[in-house]
Formats: sequence, structure tokens, C-alpha cells
Amino acid sequence: MSQRTEQIEKLFAERASSLLGRATDNHGLAAETLIPRVKAAVTKYILRDDPQASLAVIGDFIDKLQADDLCLIVACEQGNQKAWTDLVERFSATVRSAARSASSNEEGAEDLAQSIWAELHGLRLREDGKPAGKLAYYSGRGSLAGWLRAVVAQLAVDQHRKQSRLVQTEEDADFDRIIQHGQEETTWSGHGAATNPELQISAKLAGAQLQKALAESVKQMSAEDRLLVKLYYFDGLRLREAGAVLGVHEATASRRLTRIHAELRQQVETRLIGQEGWTKSETECAFAEVALNLEADLEPMLATEPVLMKKENEVAG
Amino acid sequence: MKQANNNEVDLLLRSLARPRGESSLQGVATSGESVASEHLDADELNSYAEGVAPAPARARYMEHLADCDACRGIVVGLTQAAGAASRHDVAHQQGGFSVWQKLTALLSLPILRYAVPALVLTAVIGIGLFALKQQRQTDFVAQNQPRLAAPPAVQGDNGAAFNPTPGSPAAVQNGAKTGSNEETSKDNLKDQKTQAIEQPTLAPESSVAKTASKDAAQPGEAAGAIATQSYATEPKAAAPPPPAPLLDAEKSTVLAKEQPAKREDQPRDRDEAFRVAQDDVHGPNRARNNVALPANGRSAGSMTERGSSGADKKKAAEVETRTVMGRHFTREGGAWVDNAYDSSRATIRVTRGSEQFRALVADEPGMRTIAEQLGGVVIVVWKGRAYRIQ
Repeated sequence: MSQRTEQIEKLFAERASSLLGRATDNHGLAAETLIPRVKAAVTKYILRDDPQASLAVIGDFIDKLQADDLCLIVACEQGNQKAWTDLVERFSATVRSAARSASSNEEGAEDLAQSIWAELHGLRLREDGKPAGKLAYYSGRGSLAGWLRAVVAQLAVDQHRKQSRLVQTEEDADFDRIIQHGQEETTWSGHGAATNPELQISAKLAGAQLQKALAESVKQMSAEDRLLVKLYYFDGLRLREAGAVLGVHEATASRRLTRIHAELRQQVETRLIGQEGWTKSETECAFAEVALNLEADLEPMLATEPVLMKKENEVAG
Repeated sequence: MKQANNNEVDLLLRSLARPRGESSLQGVATSGESVASEHLDADELNSYAEGVAPAPARARYMEHLADCDACRGIVVGLTQAAGAASRHDVAHQQGGFSVWQKLTALLSLPILRYAVPALVLTAVIGIGLFALKQQRQTDFVAQNQPRLAAPPAVQGDNGAAFNPTPGSPAAVQNGAKTGSNEETSKDNLKDQKTQAIEQPTLAPESSVAKTASKDAAQPGEAAGAIATQSYATEPKAAAPPPPAPLLDAEKSTVLAKEQPAKREDQPRDRDEAFRVAQDDVHGPNRARNNVALPANGRSAGSMTERGSSGADKKKAAEVETRTVMGRHFTREGGAWVDNAYDSSRATIRVTRGSEQFRALVADEPGMRTIAEQLGGVVIVVWKGRAYRIQ
């Protein structure tokens, strides 16, 4: 065993004892029962991304674990009935609330809330004879209430998948589909092209190429920018909500969005000029025409959006 | 131009998103099972949503969330729930403050910044209302007193008619030695002259009137005095007027203390006015009337006709006089007219509450007293100018 490994093991033992000391009710757990859980959490969040993480970083991570919640869950996993009673009493309201949010009707929500406890406990047994429930996956990094909400949401998704029987093998079909069918589906047509069939075909082709270039450009963006675009445009979140998911203020999200617009336009123009042989003026003309046409198409749908965007931009300063 | 370019891209992006008209769960249903093993687990989703995932792990999750509708949908829900929960926690913590913390919060600068001016304003309004109330009470002291109908003349033993002008020592002297026969206008005139001559000797009674006026000018003090006074009941209608000899020093003092406060309730009809006049013979009004009578030639004339006939008495009763700040006013056509006012003079119109009025009373506090004690329209001559206060 290397010296670092020894140091890490020693650190785990020390911090596990410290964690038990921090808990207001440790449910009579021994430090040894917590060490595997702590080790799993450190591996998952720290060592996977940085195997050479310093002991200080690891120790800091362990110190920030939710001691009470982790002890409660480990006690439940150990079969402590009092801990189970505490868990159900304290979090049944949270589970019901999450189930109502994830279900379309009250009956489904009640079923979901009831099934979550069975999922937590585990219906099957592991090799060591203990139930293979979802309790084993709680690391203590986040709050127990939040973790339970996430478990309920995932369970709802699983149930919906089973019921819908609609399984698609491609995960991110949005931009791929747009790129694939960009030339076939001409969703954008040139403004005033209806009078001339030749111009109409030309405008449709231009619109399809613009659409394809835009989709490719979005795919090339950084994960954070792409996530913001998805949250704002595809999921219909407001900047404040999108910013909350990203962990930034809405003003920051607004500034980022403005930057993304500029970068996307630059990238689309570069693609059209470099790959499709367009001229600068043609790209500008195509942008203007397509936007004009889209504005008319989207006007009913976006009745309130420009106002919101303007307000958000004002907030962003 | 730059903003227009951004708007074009914005519209294009909205158009890209438009075909997705499906709900979140439907979107989840189309998510690939092949990558399901790579989905974030509940713990990772929660740690991301709560912002407690270490930076490298967070970047990795973000990469996944940008492409995975299912996980993104869950994270959005968790983020919103975490925000609501944190707000709830904050509210709970605020609700659990101790008394000292609440007191400290109450006395904090941001609250005091608004609370102190509000308290001061409330106090000013309260004082103003109190002063206004007191001012109304002082009106009782300087109450409008109608020129009383002449009481039945008391005739002396020598047969001379006598007009018992309230408070007049002459009346007292004459009343003591006279009976109750008809008086003649000639004798009345004679008595009036006697009164006028004896006026300077009425210092004690005049001082009472001055005190009353002073009290009217100082509402706070007057209110205290009035509040402690007990008021004598009015004499019965059938009771004969008290004889003049009842006036002695002791009685005068007692009656002066028992002067009624609510003079606006005093009877206006002739008989009651007479009774009140008889009661007031020993009160502060006695002095007031004594002061007013000689200076008012018009009223003096009417006084001589008292008792001569019922119509004349009624006419005389309609003439009201008052004395404020040493000036004598007569009620004429709904207005209090300074006796020093010459109707040929032009008046300066001043409306109560106007800026001009405020400036005037600020410069001349005496004018304020007059305006306050005499309601309605007042024509007063002040420093050579005639003012019409209305």
C-alpha cells in the first residue's frame, strides 16, 4: 500500500469519526460503517476527475458532507427501525410534494409516493444479504430532501418510459435531426419569394443552409453555453430560471446570451462563406430575410417574449 | 446594427426550438436507452442543482445536461425546488428570531429612517388637534353675547327709573334703594351718563373682563381653568330676577367662579337672555358689557329705550356687541364690525387660511386673537387700516 493510499485511508477514518461527532443524532453508528460511504463519495466527486487531489481537498470535501442526513440514511440501510420511522416522518411530505410535481394526476402521485419507500428500501437482496435499495447511492453531498426529490423524479421518468413504450435510440436528436433534414424540410422561405417560383426555391435552399449552419454552430458551442441555449430556447425557461440552473445571476445569463448571439452569427457566417460559398452580403441578406419571415411566423407565439427579453436586458444593464 | 443582428439570431434560435412542442415527460420518453447508463444519478443531479458539486464534476454534469433532456428536466425541477426550499428556510430562520433580535431589527437604521419622521408627524398632528380642541373651548370664554334685553327696571324709592346695567355700581347703588316701578327713558339716559362717569371706577370688574380676554388668548391656561369650573344651573323661568342688593363681594366671587362655560347654549330669547343677564350681573360678562356699553353709541341709544315697549326690546336684543383685545365690535348683518370702523373706508379683504391671512396674523398676533374669537366675517381697524376678515 502506497504512502498516499495510507494517508487517504487514515484521513477517511479521522473524518468519519469527525462526521459522527458533528451529527446531532448518529443513531449509534460506528465510524467504520461510515468509512465505505465516505470513500465512495470522495471517489465519485473528487478522485474521478482528479486522482491526485490533495488531502486538504479531500478533507474539505468530507467536512462538507451532510452529517445528520448521511447518518440517518446509513442507519436506515443498517436496518435501524427508529431511523426508518424518522426518515418517513420527516420526509413523507417532501416525497408527496415531489410526486405531485412529477405526476400528471393525484392518483399517480400517490402511487409514486408509496412506491418510493419500497425503492429506497430495496425489493431485492444484495450478496451480503442486505436489501439493494437506493439508499446506498446517497453520498451526503447534497441535502437528503433534494436527493429524495431527485429519486422521485427519476422514478417518474422510468415509469413514464415503461408506460409510453416509446424508446428512441438517439439521445440528442434535435440538432442532428435539423442538420439531417435541413435540406429536405424547408421551414424557412424567403420573404416575397412566393411570387417567383425560382426565387422561392432559391430562398428555401438558402433558409435550409442557414438552419443547418446554425444547428452545427450550436453543437460546437461550449457545454455551458449550449446548456443556456437549451434552457432558454428549448425548455422555455426565463433568464432568471436558466441562470439558477447554471448557478449564475440572471444578469450574467443575459450577458452570456448576448455574447452567444454574436458568436453564433459569426460562426454561421463563417460556415456559409467557407463551406457553402456565400458572400458576406448574401449571408447578411439571408439573415435579414429569414428573420423577417420568422418574425411574422412567430409573432403570435412571441407576443410577450420581446418585452421579457428587453426587461431582462435592462436588468443585465 | 449589432442589436438587430442579435435579434435575428434570437429569432432563428426560437425557430429551431419551435418544433419541440412536447412535454418534458414526453421528451424524456424519447431519450435514448443506450445512453441511459450514463445518465446522472439522483445524487449527482441533486448536488448539481444545489450547487455543491465540485467544479470538475460540475463541468462534467453540465456537458451531460446540455444534451440530455431527461436529466436537464429533473435538474430544472430540483433547482426550482431548492430555491423555494431555501426561501422557506430563510423565512423560518427569520421567524425564529429572539425578542432581542426583533428589537434590534426594529430599531435598525433602515426602519428608523422612516419611523422617526412618521412619529414626529403623528405627534405634530396630535398636538395640532389638541390645540384646536382647546381653542374651541376658549370660544366658550369669549362667547358671542347678545345685547341683552333690558331687564325689568328697578325703580328706586324716589320713583326714578333705573336700568340695572349688569355690574354697574350705580345700578347696585340705585337698585339697593329703589323699588320696581316703570322707568322712563329720560331717567335711563341719566343713568347711562352716570355709568359713563363711573366707568373708571370699575377697575375690579374690568380686570375680570381682561382676565377673560386673556384666557381666551391663552387657550391652554383657559382650558385648565374651565375644566375645573362647575357651572351654576340656570334659574327657573318663573323665578323673578334677583334683586340687586344680593350683589356683595362674596357673592360676586362665587358667581364669577360659577360662570357657565357653554355660553353658546345660552338662551337667545328675550326672557332667558334677561335671566342670564341677571345671573351674569356678578360674572365676567358684567365687566364686558360695562366696557362695551359706553363705547357703543348705538347700543347706548338702544339701551335707553329698553323696557319702553316689547318691539323695542326685541330690536335691542338683536344688537350684539363684543369686546376683544380692547376693541369693541358690533354684530351687523352677519359681520362683526369694529366700532372704530367708518363705513366709508375701503377694506382689505383677507380670507381665513390664506397665505395673506397667515402672514397678517403672524405679524399681528392681536389680529389672530380677534379673528379666532370672532367667527365669521370680521371688519377690524388695525393700525389705521380696515381689514375684512372672512
